[in-house]
Amino acid sequence: MNYFVKGNPDLCIGCRTCMIGCVVAHEGKHIFEVDPDSYSFNPKLHMVKTANLSVPVQCKHCENPACMAVCPVGAISQKDHCIVIDTEKCMGCKSCMDACPFGAINMTVQTGKFQADGTEKKVANKCDLCYGFSGGPACVRVCPTEALTLVTEDELGDAMERKRAEAARNAYLETHPQE
Amino acid sequence: MKKEIGSFVVGDSTKCTGCKACELACFTVHNRKSNHLGKTVGTVTVPVTPRLFLTKFEQGCMPIQCKHCEDAPCLNACTKGAISRIDHQVIVDAEKCIGCKDCMQACPFGAIALLPYARDGRLVGQAMSSEPKVFASKCDLCEGIEGGPACVRVCPHQALRLVDPEAEREEKNIRAAEALLLTKNWR
Amino acid sequence: MGIPEIEDAGCLLCFGYNGADSHPIVARRIVRGKQKGMKIICADPRVTETARISDIHLQLKGGSNLALVNAMANVIWNEGLADKKFIDEHTKGFDEFLKVIEKYTPEYAEPITHIPAETIRRAARVYATTKPAMILYGMGVCQFTQAVDVVKGLANLALMTGNFGGPSMGIGPVRGQNNVQGACDMGALPNSYPGYQNVTVPEIREKFEKAWGVPLSDQVGCPITHVPHRILHEKEEKKRIHAYYIFGEDPAQSDPDLAEVREALDKCDFVVMQDIYMNKTGLYADVILPATAWGENEGIYTCADRGFQRVRKLIEPEGDMRPDWQIIADISTAMGYPMNYKNTEEIWNEMIDLCPSFTGATYEKIEKYGGVQWPCRDKSMEDKGTPYLHKDGIFATKDHKALFYGTDWHPPVELENDQYPMTLSTVREVGHYSVRTMTGNCRTLRNLEDEPGWVQMNTEDCEKMNLKKGELVKILSKRGYCITRCLPTDRVKPGATYMTYQWWIGACNELTTAKLDPISNTPEYKYCACRVEKIEDQQWAERHVMELYDDIRAQMGIDTGKGAKA
Repeated sequence: MNYFVKGNPDLCIGCRTCMIGCVVAHEGKHIFEVDPDSYSFNPKLHMVKTANLSVPVQCKHCENPACMAVCPVGAISQKDHCIVIDTEKCMGCKSCMDACPFGAINMTVQTGKFQADGTEKKVANKCDLCYGFSGGPACVRVCPTEALTLVTEDELGDAMERKRAEAARNAYLETHPQE
Repeated sequence: MKKEIGSFVVGDSTKCTGCKACELACFTVHNRKSNHLGKTVGTVTVPVTPRLFLTKFEQGCMPIQCKHCEDAPCLNACTKGAISRIDHQVIVDAEKCIGCKDCMQACPFGAIALLPYARDGRLVGQAMSSEPKVFASKCDLCEGIEGGPACVRVCPHQALRLVDPEAEREEKNIRAAEALLLTKNWR
Repeated sequence: MGIPEIEDAGCLLCFGYNGADSHPIVARRIVRGKQKGMKIICADPRVTETARISDIHLQLKGGSNLALVNAMANVIWNEGLADKKFIDEHTKGFDEFLKVIEKYTPEYAEPITHIPAETIRRAARVYATTKPAMILYGMGVCQFTQAVDVVKGLANLALMTGNFGGPSMGIGPVRGQNNVQGACDMGALPNSYPGYQNVTVPEIREKFEKAWGVPLSDQVGCPITHVPHRILHEKEEKKRIHAYYIFGEDPAQSDPDLAEVREALDKCDFVVMQDIYMNKTGLYADVILPATAWGENEGIYTCADRGFQRVRKLIEPEGDMRPDWQIIADISTAMGYPMNYKNTEEIWNEMIDLCPSFTGATYEKIEKYGGVQWPCRDKSMEDKGTPYLHKDGIFATKDHKALFYGTDWHPPVELENDQYPMTLSTVREVGHYSVRTMTGNCRTLRNLEDEPGWVQMNTEDCEKMNLKKGELVKILSKRGYCITRCLPTDRVKPGATYMTYQWWIGACNELTTAKLDPISNTPEYKYCACRVEKIEDQQWAERHVMELYDDIRAQMGIDTGKGAKA
């Protein structure tokens, strides 16, 4: 099963530290050394604030990803429990963006890369669970209220088993009230 | 905030009946001025050159048209500089196009066709050949045409939709966030 | 009460305080409290993050604070929920107070506060019956012309329910800046020496004169918010201000009615600025003294809960700058009063020996315990400070009794009118701190939000004016205007607008009023009348904003990244 990061709106205070953590993790420390305007700020998760809700939304790393199915150039693939985009292959057709039901994919400027007519090159951008970096997803690590968790196969499986057992016990107690 | 990425039109194969009203509407609105198209059949003196293409496949049919890619292979492939990005949309300059077919090969959707080029109700010819000039015909989102994409407007089954990707993404984000409310105490 | 105590309160009344935006780390305690089952009542005109997770959200109309507080007191008394024993044993003035709140029935308060009477009742009941109950209040209380009265009103609530003198209770001002508490503790107030020792008390003055070896004035000084007036309009030549030494503050950005502030800084004969980065005030300075930032110097801060904390140097400062204390010592020495401190500890030791309530807070102790909350009177390691004040209901008055103060509500000074039909309140946003002298120079924070900032408006208001998210709008008051981006949100009520005050272009203090609370001298940042105008030519507006921004940055000598920088 693919893993995914999930936000809890009861704990989230909308501070967007996750977004900065994401950018810093993916850009690397060099963003603190280069010219402030020379890198692009592309968080791979999106803070949603409505009248009664604040929480970041990011890729669910679906088991049958719609984005992967529609990509005409095979730029989206599954690797070690996550769905990743190959930005070299991506040509920014937005099919995945349209296909994703969560709005988890956006288009971001590839700094320093241009199209033939000199306009900026933009490609698909989404959570990759910090694939290839040590320490796991940066957003989970930096959240001050611990509102983000990495959900793994074991955790989800255990929870389901626990819930089933509880449901079975409750059903049993209903028919055997004396116990 | 200003629009950062290009819009596009998508078809829905569950609604499309293959009537080709979209193709005809597309051709009509693009040739009203340049080829004096009126409202009746008798005013058509040039070949029908749509910019989207009704496509039939095993399970059904739907129109296929340009996605206005953000790193557009067609644009990058065009040696002549006939394809450029104008107000975030990928636009072909038919005058400049020499029909080299590179863009057709580069496009992964088949959203481009080489079709005869007409002006003032007549096909444009070329020197040293009896064949008329062709151009890379692809969706321009009805640039400069009042009312927006004609295909969307005329479809009798609402099988076409103009996508503002970033706005839709934000809406989907909100729905996804609301769904999280149901899963927050899953442990 | 201390910040860590928040999460253990049974009930939290969060009044005009938006922790998630102003102090995320305090907000974390509120979130944790909620997880532990704490009841939250949030009084705020906006749906803040705390309001969102609250049990009762009192979404009051801006400027109606005291009417709501008095109505809650009215309910607590009339429904027999008051702690009569505590009132009898530990307080004075309750009968006079009752006379004032008599008329503030929830029905009387409803049209003023726009909160249903029944909701006020429910909130009062929850606050009075859930123990321990804590109150946190922020700038939504303090930045009104009726500010001190509301603070006293909140204290009345805590007094009449016996919520004083134990852990996780009482009332907590969560300060506007990280070291405001420290600045006040150190006597950066016009009326006191360090340790809240009044300048008008002869014995105290004599003590400091003896320690410092100079004669000292017995007059109360000038509050910062009076400075523009004292420069521009003071008739008495002796009282007129000619020189202004500004230190870690950006009045040309943070003070109300910026047009007046600019005129004052222009007319002032001599302006000195001491800060870590260039800011708007710096554009008016005759002399700029560059100081080191956090991480480059050491010293002590006071947290909002009276906790002294050490800050330490991490890196050597580069370039021509010095720690603030060294600059002050050098200036003083140059002016004929030599200061020869070797380090901050020497200064600290001199200070604590002159301030009885700080005497025990030695460097050694702060180091060992991680922090010390004053009062801490004894240097022995056993005196670890005071986590909460007024233990066992013994108050810091002569007879150890607390005093009730009842005051009538009055509306804000500048109300909505035909010309300016909406209201403006200044607010905070997480990420940018205060006037962003610091955070504006942090690249990732600048990536999150940059000029010209946002005006938060109700979705319906935006629809009426056909305003879209991100569209540039002009916002005006009697005093001036600015351009900013429109942010439609259902978190604010129709008719109200909210802007953060750190933007140079979208500078909401161009609009705010300089009317002050008569006691605290804090301006009414949270209420003035304004009008929002649509800008038809958005392309022009975008260009105009960029030009203004580049212009200011160029004036400040900031490399805009367009030049040749490695």
